Amino acid sequence: MEFKSHKLTNGLTVIGEVNKNAKSTAVGFFVKTGSRDEDLKINGVSHFLEHMVFKGTERLSPFAVNEAFDKTGAQYNAFTSEEGTVFYAAVLPEYLAEITRLWIEMMRPALRTEDFNIEKQVIKEEIAMYKDQPSFDVMDRCRAIYFAGHPCGHSVLGSEESIDAMTAEQMRGYFSQRYAPNNMVAVFAGNFEWEQIRDMVEAGCGDWKNQDVKRTITDTRGARGKQRLDKANLTREHICLMSPAVSAQSDKRFAAALLSMIVGDDVGSRFFWELVDKAIVETASFDFAPMDGTGAYCTYVRCSGENTAKAMKIVASIFVDLTKTGVTEDELTKAKNKVLSAFVIKNEIPMGRLVDLGFNWTYLGQYRPVEDDVKAVKAVTVAEINALLKEYPLGEFAQFSLGPAQNG
Amino acid sequence: MKENLDKHKLSNGMMLLGERMEAVESVAFSFILPAGASVMPAGCCGAANVISDWIFRGAGERDNRQLGDALDGLGLQRSGGVDSAHISVGAALEASNLSSAIDLYGDIILRAKLEDEQFAPARQLAIEGVKGLDDDPRHKVMLKLREQFYPEPLGRSTAGEIADLEALTPETTKKIIAERFNPAKTIFSVAGKYDFDAVVRQVEKIFGAKSGSRPRSLKMGAAGGRYKHIPNDGAQVHIGLMTPTVLLKDKNYYNARIAVAVLSGGMGARLFTEVREKRGLCYAVGAQYHAMKEAAGITCYAGTMPDKAQQTFDVIVAEFNRLADGISEEELQRAKVGLKSSLIMQSESSSSRAGSIAGDYYMLGRVRALDKIKAEIDKTSVDSVLTFLRENGFKDFTVVTIGPKEVKVG
Repeated sequence: MEFKSHKLTNGLTVIGEVNKNAKSTAVGFFVKTGSRDEDLKINGVSHFLEHMVFKGTERLSPFAVNEAFDKTGAQYNAFTSEEGTVFYAAVLPEYLAEITRLWIEMMRPALRTEDFNIEKQVIKEEIAMYKDQPSFDVMDRCRAIYFAGHPCGHSVLGSEESIDAMTAEQMRGYFSQRYAPNNMVAVFAGNFEWEQIRDMVEAGCGDWKNQDVKRTITDTRGARGKQRLDKANLTREHICLMSPAVSAQSDKRFAAALLSMIVGDDVGSRFFWELVDKAIVETASFDFAPMDGTGAYCTYVRCSGENTAKAMKIVASIFVDLTKTGVTEDELTKAKNKVLSAFVIKNEIPMGRLVDLGFNWTYLGQYRPVEDDVKAVKAVTVAEINALLKEYPLGEFAQFSLGPAQNG
Repeated sequence: MKENLDKHKLSNGMMLLGERMEAVESVAFSFILPAGASVMPAGCCGAANVISDWIFRGAGERDNRQLGDALDGLGLQRSGGVDSAHISVGAALEASNLSSAIDLYGDIILRAKLEDEQFAPARQLAIEGVKGLDDDPRHKVMLKLREQFYPEPLGRSTAGEIADLEALTPETTKKIIAERFNPAKTIFSVAGKYDFDAVVRQVEKIFGAKSGSRPRSLKMGAAGGRYKHIPNDGAQVHIGLMTPTVLLKDKNYYNARIAVAVLSGGMGARLFTEVREKRGLCYAVGAQYHAMKEAAGITCYAGTMPDKAQQTFDVIVAEFNRLADGISEEELQRAKVGLKSSLIMQSESSSSRAGSIAGDYYMLGRVRALDKIKAEIDKTSVDSVLTFLRENGFKDFTVVTIGPKEVKVG
């Protein structure tokens, strides 16, 4: 593996990790903008804008964009989070130049009003789709309670109202502030010629104007609180808990990731043995969500109404026990094995590697070879995880539940 | 493309397949056991799910907890599940742990403890899984669609039926395991970094002595009705539709795959263009080829708000119908490149290859070399696809909807 990087005078960075053994190459543009960077009046604009990027440029119609991708057989898409917008494609090496040129062109979209109006309908369908996925809906709602007043609580999709009210002009304004070259990084992983790609990005993006781009970064320990919403069409209880954790920049992030494996991996974790194996709940997970300058742990439980109280009592006792007595050597060893094998398998594929390269650059401003992350995971000790548990006790959380109407 | 296929049949009939991949440090393996939903005895719908959980609750010398700890200790990324024909169990892992993992899976498949006290939670989790589907209409509509489309027992819900699960006993389940865990019809596949001779020796030692009789053949019943609506007061109408097509072994298989790719191979394909890009009717819309050994179909899903459900359905059906009227050379080329690219990209993942070679062997009795598949894709032409469509047009749709509003299926 060979790492390369280059910074254009306008602030755009190009990075790449060359792996000549790979059969494919992945390319991505990582834009450091998401719902946390939105004014609430235009909540949902980052995600809506991600859709609009696919609607083409002055030269390319929406159909021409789709056909240009499809004729290379690229596997391509984009996603938006609270923190970032990522455009990516995995292609065979012979098509990389074509697809890179296409992405470069698309990063300066036309944002036509007529396309905006059609796509608005699609965004509203996407909002409706997630309403029918209570496991997603409950997390979104819990996030809003936990991050009350903090920009990380902004919904990625926005609401039907905020989308309805949004104008193409507002989106253009947001675009011109946020898609600045110094707020973006072009990332390559897999089989490619570095000089060719670097020159192509230089030629295609060199005239983009840089901007004074800001993000407000404040850590938060989050709000507490407990809410429940009845939904007549549901049959199960869906519960989400959120509590504070370290940020994406913290050196303790590896300990936090291992802790989340110990607490809530889908097999072999404390949640698994105490809740799932005993069939008290159908599913229980615990994830570490590192963010820019802050972080959170997120629990999700799905079970029957009659088991809810019992399940929540067990979750509470697991949290108390962890804070009091910590994790064991044996648990940590197993968690390391699982984290490392998942990490190695994911990074064998250029598309998997792209994501880590891009996020490490976005959050840390650095390249981290796979071996460095492997070393960092291996170095975590029980004492470090136990100290983390004292610093960020799991028992202090915000809770949101969705479920059928309750009797009485 | 260089082919790296390994193959060995044990004397009891168990098939061992491998694909060596030079660029990876991982290995993935899978045991494909002939115990899927369609071969469960009548009244035992869902038993396969209970079995795939119960066998992990202690095996060989290890109890439930010890077995879970041993699997986790190897850092296994477990995979598997229940489909119509099979229970599959396997994992992806670092190559150096393969031998220890195969030993553990030998215990799980041949020497599961199957204790009564572990039966109740295994069954309860299967029941929870079925109930959980009610809150996941997008997933549920596709299960119900297959149930409606395929003749019984092929289309049986892989999740199970609550009444059957509630009536299931440890004794019945043990009997099913004894009958169905049949090495003669089991396929073992491995892909990534491994030593095939060593794998063969180890699997032979564990499974070679056990023989089994041939499984019973399926007796097919009728498929369900043409349209089924399940009321649900959700935000969208979830529409599933399915139409019959040719099997994997059919000479027209690649023509069918190209036709589906023209319809839904990418964002430039017809469904996405007509339903989403031009009309803004849906966020999610797409069609796929879905095959069993005995029957195959094209499935299509769309989720849309109730006031747009009818139009969405009509536009989708019109696009299916319009295919036989003609496709362009550009559409054909995009479909070909898309299919070939995804084939090559899948070949970078050990898990994906272990699954594919086992699937091929089950469906065809052989593994298709990637070069052969590419050659077959290249052979298709606008003429061959259109001839196929005119002779085997996509019609006779089976439709299932879940949501606040029905659609008129015409």
